[in-house]
Amino acid sequence: MGVYSDDPLWADVEPLPQDDGGPNPLAAIAYTDEYSEAMSYLRAVMASNDMSERVLSLTEDIISMNPAHYTVWLYRARVLLTLKKDLKEEIAWLNPTALNYQKNYQIWHHRQTIIDALDSPEGEAEFIAQMFERDAKNYHVWSYRQWLVKRFDIDDESELKAIDELLRADVRNNSAWNHRWFVVFGRHEGDSLDETVLERELKYAQAAIYLAPQNQSPWNYVRGLLRKYNKPLSTIKPFATEFASLDHPDDVHSSHALDVLADIYEGEGTKADAAKALDLLAQKYDPIRANYWTYRKFLLGFPPEPDHPIFHHHNY
Amino acid sequence: MAQNATIHPGFAAHSGLDRAKHINYWKRCLKTYLPHQYTSNDSNRLMLSFFIISALDLLGALLPSTTPAERADYARFLYSCQHPEGGFRGFPGTDFGQLRNKQNKQWDPANIPATYFALSTLILLGDSLQRVNKRACLRWLLQMQREDGSFGEILGENGQIEGGQDTRFGYCATGIRYILRGHKTGSVLGMPDINVDKLVDCIRRSQTYDGGISEAPFHEAHAGFTYCAISTLSFLDRLPNGVGGHLYHYGNVRLSGLTDLDLTVRWFVSRQTTTLDDEEAADTYSDETDTTATCHDAHSFVKTRSVPAKSDETCEKDRPPPAVELQWIGFNGRPNKVADTCYAWWTCASMAILGKLNLLSYTENQLYLLSKPQHAIGGFGKLPGDPPDIYHSYLGLAALGVLGNDAVKPVDPALCFSKHGATLLKNMLWRKRLLGEPGSEGPLVDSDDEVIETAEPRGRGVDVRAHQNLQVRYVRRGSEGETTLCGDGESTVASHDSDQVTLRGE
Repeated sequence: MGVYSDDPLWADVEPLPQDDGGPNPLAAIAYTDEYSEAMSYLRAVMASNDMSERVLSLTEDIISMNPAHYTVWLYRARVLLTLKKDLKEEIAWLNPTALNYQKNYQIWHHRQTIIDALDSPEGEAEFIAQMFERDAKNYHVWSYRQWLVKRFDIDDESELKAIDELLRADVRNNSAWNHRWFVVFGRHEGDSLDETVLERELKYAQAAIYLAPQNQSPWNYVRGLLRKYNKPLSTIKPFATEFASLDHPDDVHSSHALDVLADIYEGEGTKADAAKALDLLAQKYDPIRANYWTYRKFLLGFPPEPDHPIFHHHNY
Repeated sequence: MAQNATIHPGFAAHSGLDRAKHINYWKRCLKTYLPHQYTSNDSNRLMLSFFIISALDLLGALLPSTTPAERADYARFLYSCQHPEGGFRGFPGTDFGQLRNKQNKQWDPANIPATYFALSTLILLGDSLQRVNKRACLRWLLQMQREDGSFGEILGENGQIEGGQDTRFGYCATGIRYILRGHKTGSVLGMPDINVDKLVDCIRRSQTYDGGISEAPFHEAHAGFTYCAISTLSFLDRLPNGVGGHLYHYGNVRLSGLTDLDLTVRWFVSRQTTTLDDEEAADTYSDETDTTATCHDAHSFVKTRSVPAKSDETCEKDRPPPAVELQWIGFNGRPNKVADTCYAWWTCASMAILGKLNLLSYTENQLYLLSKPQHAIGGFGKLPGDPPDIYHSYLGLAALGVLGNDAVKPVDPALCFSKHGATLLKNMLWRKRLLGEPGSEGPLVDSDDEVIETAEPRGRGVDVRAHQNLQVRYVRRGSEGETTLCGDGESTVASHDSDQVTLRGE
């Protein structure tokens, strides 16, 4: 007795039960009867390449129980395209499904297939905004957004505006910072570097640092910018000094500024100052990375005591 | 560390792992049905199988918990998932049995991660991989590499590579390659090598401006993807010179897989966080809640203007807390995210491969795992207080192995299972012969394999014409039981089925 075996619509299908290959299979799951039955019908229709309408409800059923099934989505897409279904309806079905299974890869690939076939990004920005309301750092959504931007050649200006809104909501959203980098540099590989872009981006990241000096994302962004443009880190020495100075070791406002200063002093050859900055990090402003800061100091020629944890033996 | 005077510097956290409870947790996973909530992971059953068997191995409990007959059954289950055209299925659920044909085979493909996990599990079970269709697997592997060098998950319709651009697939693919052919380049078993240079280039292009590695160029760096990329480079022997155990060169033309080692190390070190759960997170869409006591790494010595979070509340934060609060240091997967058990593995294992584990606060990292996400019934949850699940329980345990916890076997950080398992693999005679190791002289086939005919190669997009004359086909020569040193040294007899004929379906 079951949903499918009792349904005349499926009377012609001989369900194909699962073969677990003998006694003592590994990772056997206490399947519900509903799942076992649906899977037996799925195998049967896949085996006969059934491309009829009923397959859509069956695949929907499977997806609701096992959205990570790696061929049920491909099969569903094939049926949709074979039957020339209205793909907008598919997107309307996908939206709540994606909201239910936020960490599922297959859903996003399927969406890509359907939107690609529809050849229009209409409504996608709104849907992505809805996803971001739940989790503004959802990795799948950001990856999908990059695909969307490239596929439909969405202009930089509207993307930068959208990112700005997300960063205004949470300036620590590293995914948004990364997307900004993609918009600014990812689609223009091979172009010569435009100094006005560097200025604009430096200004943007520095404004964010003023808001939250201890936020690592814009500091990483600034370091990335200078590296990309082959500018020395000392370019931002006056800026970094606003947040940390060896003259005022009790008045440090950002460990990241101290880190930048340590690198700048090293580059300038004032190793003693670099060591002081690293000491402040290890002992006071970023002690959870004390071993790393001690190692950096060691590289400068200031070794710690011989039994320091960075010298302990690990078998690697 | 001076700031951690409360912790004995030589602290080995062996007392903190409740070994008996962890063993019980994993024995339940092995011997009883997994609860129906795992249905959403049904397609990943071979991954779950690997975690269960490997966890018991890491705890030294695989042999005491299982009989030789049970282990033979487990191996039989895995081999039942072997795919007729090479590799392994992710689970038995797509197998059409006798109904399989050319028209429906695209719905029942072999799966890259499942294949890596199946081979690894078989190794840990003491199986010598004699029944693996190695040549078919290597040929399938060639078909799974894209033009840009990356690998996919499955072959779909018309040989289309499905499964997204994702360093996880590159990791599993090169893991398969390492298991089946070590670091050997060129043709093996008549199959040409994958395009190593293109894969390395793909990884280089996926390195981000902040030093981590993402799934694809310009995507956000992520500790899991970074681990996969670094392990891939380890499998390919393409880490920067001086890093890792393999220092041999092929002239000066080798391209190192990491564009900026120091920056990558800095990125990993920055994954350490004391923001241990959502309530403490500075990154959630709720209001800013990190406080002096909870959010040491986000302590934001804000001057005057301050609007960092979604709310308009001013974020006031103080100086760092006293050192005594720094006993627990966890790991996040991306900047400004909350700690999660699995990132202890991705980060510690990567740093171990890079020879930089000591730069982490490894004592406090162990204490985090043992004190926070470790669950009272055994296993680990994702966050402190979460119920244990197979994924986090395995990676938490493996991370402790890398960190040197003496209740866990030492772990091979790239293979993601015990060094004992890695030794079992290295001692396999067929593999030693394949790799031409001294003392293992003989033909490049298993002693009980027999060359019976030639077959046409079908490498997709790969020039295999030069190898056509070398194409061979092996058929098992009847059943020959083999004595294998298994697990902790117990001797067991692994039966060989005579019906496992390679290259079925051709």
